[in-house]
Amino acid sequence: MRGKKIGDYALDSVIYICLTLMGLATLLPFANVLSKSISEEWAIVAGKVGIIPVGFQLDTMRFVVTSSQFLHALFISALVAVIGTLASLLVTAMTAYPLSKRELPGTGALIVLFIFTMMFNGGIIPNYLLIRQLDLINNLGSLILPALVSVFNMLVVKSYFESLPPSLEESAKLEGARNYTILFRIILPLSGPVLATIGLFYAVYYWNDYFNPMLYINSSSLKPLQLYLQDIVMNADTSSALSADDLMNVPAEGVRSATVIASTIPILLVYPFLQKYFIKGVLIGSVKG
Amino acid sequence: MKNYVKLFLVTAMAVMLVALTACSSNNGGSDNAANATNSADTADTANAGGEADAGDAANAPSDEPKPELKRLGIWQNEDYNTYPVAKMLEEKTGYKVKYDMLPQDKYAEKQNLIMSSGEPYDLVTTFSDMAIYSDYAQKGALVDLLPLIDKYGPNIKTAISQQSMDALKVDGKLYAIPTAVTYEVNNSILIRTDWLDKLGLQMPTTTDELTAVLKAFKDKDPGGNGDQDVPLTIRGDLPMLDNIVGAFGMPNTWNDVDGQLVPRVLDPAYKDYITYMSDLYKQGLLDKEFVVNKDATAKEKFSSGKAGAIIVHWADIPTISDAITKSVPDAKFAFVPALKGPAGKAGFAANAGFDRLTFIPKASKHPEDAIKWINASLDPETFKDLAIGEEGKHYTEENGAYMPILPIFNDERNLANNYMAGTDETNYPIYWQARVHKSPVMFEAFDFLNNKQPAEVKIQNKLGLAPYMPEYAKNNQQLETMVGDYTIKLIAGAESLSGLEAFQAKYKAAGEEASAKEINAWYATTTK
Amino acid sequence: MSKAEMTIQARPAAAAKTGGRRWKLVRGNLDMYALLLPGLVFLLLFKYTPMYGILIAFQDFNIFAGIKGSEWVGLEQFRKLIHSDEFLQVLFNTLLISLYKIVILFPIPIVLALFLNEVRRMFFKRTIQTIIYLPHFLSWVIISGLFINILSPSGGLVNEVIRSLGGQPVSFLTENDWFRSVVVFTAGWKEIGWNAIVFIAAIAGIDQEQYEAAAIDGAGRIRQMISISLPGMLPTIMLMFILRIGSLLEAGTEQILTMYNPLVYDSGDVIGTFVYRMGLGQQDYSFSTAVGLFNSAVGFLLIVIGNMLSRKFLQRSIW
Repeated sequence: MRGKKIGDYALDSVIYICLTLMGLATLLPFANVLSKSISEEWAIVAGKVGIIPVGFQLDTMRFVVTSSQFLHALFISALVAVIGTLASLLVTAMTAYPLSKRELPGTGALIVLFIFTMMFNGGIIPNYLLIRQLDLINNLGSLILPALVSVFNMLVVKSYFESLPPSLEESAKLEGARNYTILFRIILPLSGPVLATIGLFYAVYYWNDYFNPMLYINSSSLKPLQLYLQDIVMNADTSSALSADDLMNVPAEGVRSATVIASTIPILLVYPFLQKYFIKGVLIGSVKG
Repeated sequence: MKNYVKLFLVTAMAVMLVALTACSSNNGGSDNAANATNSADTADTANAGGEADAGDAANAPSDEPKPELKRLGIWQNEDYNTYPVAKMLEEKTGYKVKYDMLPQDKYAEKQNLIMSSGEPYDLVTTFSDMAIYSDYAQKGALVDLLPLIDKYGPNIKTAISQQSMDALKVDGKLYAIPTAVTYEVNNSILIRTDWLDKLGLQMPTTTDELTAVLKAFKDKDPGGNGDQDVPLTIRGDLPMLDNIVGAFGMPNTWNDVDGQLVPRVLDPAYKDYITYMSDLYKQGLLDKEFVVNKDATAKEKFSSGKAGAIIVHWADIPTISDAITKSVPDAKFAFVPALKGPAGKAGFAANAGFDRLTFIPKASKHPEDAIKWINASLDPETFKDLAIGEEGKHYTEENGAYMPILPIFNDERNLANNYMAGTDETNYPIYWQARVHKSPVMFEAFDFLNNKQPAEVKIQNKLGLAPYMPEYAKNNQQLETMVGDYTIKLIAGAESLSGLEAFQAKYKAAGEEASAKEINAWYATTTK
Repeated sequence: MSKAEMTIQARPAAAAKTGGRRWKLVRGNLDMYALLLPGLVFLLLFKYTPMYGILIAFQDFNIFAGIKGSEWVGLEQFRKLIHSDEFLQVLFNTLLISLYKIVILFPIPIVLALFLNEVRRMFFKRTIQTIIYLPHFLSWVIISGLFINILSPSGGLVNEVIRSLGGQPVSFLTENDWFRSVVVFTAGWKEIGWNAIVFIAAIAGIDQEQYEAAAIDGAGRIRQMISISLPGMLPTIMLMFILRIGSLLEAGTEQILTMYNPLVYDSGDVIGTFVYRMGLGQQDYSFSTAVGLFNSAVGFLLIVIGNMLSRKFLQRSIW
């Protein structure tokens, strides 16, 4: 009994020390960008800002978050992320469930067909022409529909469904329940962790996607936040190609940092909100009984 | 719970169905959509711009409603549609214009998709890239402007010089209106003059003096940084140091060597330049870490007082000046004038050519109105308002120089250059200096390089106004990357000059030979 | 336990099926196929309809001429890739960096998830979970800029530590001996927290009764970790691993582009960066499509092989 306690103690120390060190190391970049966003521009240019702000000020942040372009883009991003995530979750679960039944004829081939598209794609030109033919250019649908099902996420869900005990479904089947009833009434309520996971993946995907909007959105009133952000952040590195007029109008480093912070925080808040699904494991027994 | 699930089920199905029907109603020849759309649109518009309708169009009653034009521009940090210039132009030209912009990152990719799929933009203003422009022109994606200009473009004819127009002709036709560059010299070495004073040194005038100054910066530690002093810092991706390359007679990427244009790496002076630079590097006079320096890293070193000299554009001066005077209050700095090299040569690369091009895609629904719009924007008074605003409100005039009124000039005219489709080439360089006057330190630096340096050290980039040359356009970028990478390795000692001949052979085979042939065939015609 | 049983059970059933049984299964589960419909429509419309774009790899594609109008060049683009002087070195670098990333970085998120599962202080657990996934949200441009500062031989944090311990400063980003290590380390540092999420969820999906039963049997925490948590994560681990090896030829183009410089091309130039350098600004659609196709073909083959091996030796497979 005593030996076990010492073992647990040692295990805990190792775990806490490792995790703390890791946490500190990964906090660094964010702290750096954050402190740049609230420091004075001269101190940033002179490289004086590490993780502690120099010349604390909130004007840059205020300037960024009150700009109408930013607020508008924020709204578009939130809209796309919410609708996109819900639609994706639904279709992904609907696709993964039948595919998790190996005994159903055709599922193996379909899975291969899905996985094939993880590796092979037609490239941006045919995709652009397709979106154009569907009349989705300058339409927020172009940001959701082409990304509706991520094969990766679908496989994660499928793998989870496979791990659920078959007995769950069997009793329902005996009572004459249809497959979709089983999916929505029995399986999904038990899938909290995996749905939270891929929900997070989808939300982050939709939030962070700038490539599809870059290709499919022309109108400035429909541009999501990441496109706005990407344009501002990329500005720094292309300056050799710019003319003097462009150089004079390059956004300041502080503005860039503040934009990064302001556009990342909303999506960061999603994870802590979902964490309750990760912390306590499911109790399958309680449902079974 | 159940209803909620059903609702989503139904929505998802509906979305899918809509997508499906939209697809099937459109499914004619999916892989050739680009062509189909293109030719359908261009059939009408090409005629509209042609001779047949000339009479009608010219005599059309002036109260006929003007169509809304669609214009595509390069990225800027504000919405084109709400920036004050848009409203001013709408009032002056009578045209309502709906603006879209390209992304900053990967703009060429997007631009190609838009141009090839026949999006009906009436005006496209983008970076001047001859390779892309001529590709569009040759593939028939652009409207020939000369007939339109003859009919509707009297202002265009006076504003744009013949020389500019000629440089943009592809197979004798003109497809773009250029925005010419407004100044010549970009970069030089910015040096800490207070360090010079402290050490009792003069501003260097030759490359040898520069070495001596940098050596003193390193040994005598005028900045009080101990062994952390960086005598000269540069960004890692620009190993051809402006001003210093000029001292070796190679200010531009291609320079005249005995009547022929020769790229730097084949220039006989290249070896001398490398020897000089690698010597600086070995002695620790050039930033030991220059290879990894990003633009911001180099500026950081100078602005924090660690570096004694840096190569920068004069437009970077306000940022640097602000940072350095706050972190090192006694700091003073100035641009180094054109240095003389061992063979007595000196010079800066002088810009020639264009900043932006504006063209009318074949897919445009209103090519005539587009040209009328350009013409209206180049009306001398309108253009002046576009460039610097109204006298007394945006600027004041003092002895022929235009001074901006701040901050309204910044708020309402800072981004005006993005709205231009061609410039009043005689007056714009003068108006434009108002933009430089926004910051006195910047103007001083600009003035020193562009107005105070003698004309003979401003060596024009001969290729700036060269016409389209297919081989050069195709290979230029890759050749530049090759030489840049190789030069960095040579300076940093990762390669030695003994391998130069092998590299030159590879370089020639990678497209230099073909490009040089083309370039010199053209060059011979200009020097006759 | 239950899931292993299930996969094994399913197989003989599927193998023994006769034509009639098959048909009965289909007819009895028509609503199951109906569930698949939206996903399949999506797959065909948005994934397979544009697939003809692969043909661009065999052309000298001009965007204005379209696929119908462009010239066919057969395998010329592939020849261009494979015959370039640097290709062997580039392929070697790609494989090496990728393998390092897999061998070193693949297990860490699993260990991390196991560790986090042992943490009983909720506040600590939540805080750490949230912090370690932060770097995922910053782009490589920003992260690389930061690392250039941290790793600088003059005044960078890391070298200050080395110096204070009496060592010689190391120029991490310009020495071929170090560059790959830096790439692997920074990639891990950026993505470990993010990659752990799927494993954290896998542990959360394990039936709590198993732990309770084990505790009653007197199994210690380390024992529970090894005999319950780890096997419970195994399907997820296998899935992630097989998918991971599918991207073997993508060694981190965006990351390396922002970190490398000509001095470390010998060790750091990978297929993606090489193509970027060669095709810079040239709009060479055909060449980049060909390279992409090469990567995809290798990746797909690896996934198929991985799945086969996993089925054979672990009785567990994606399909």
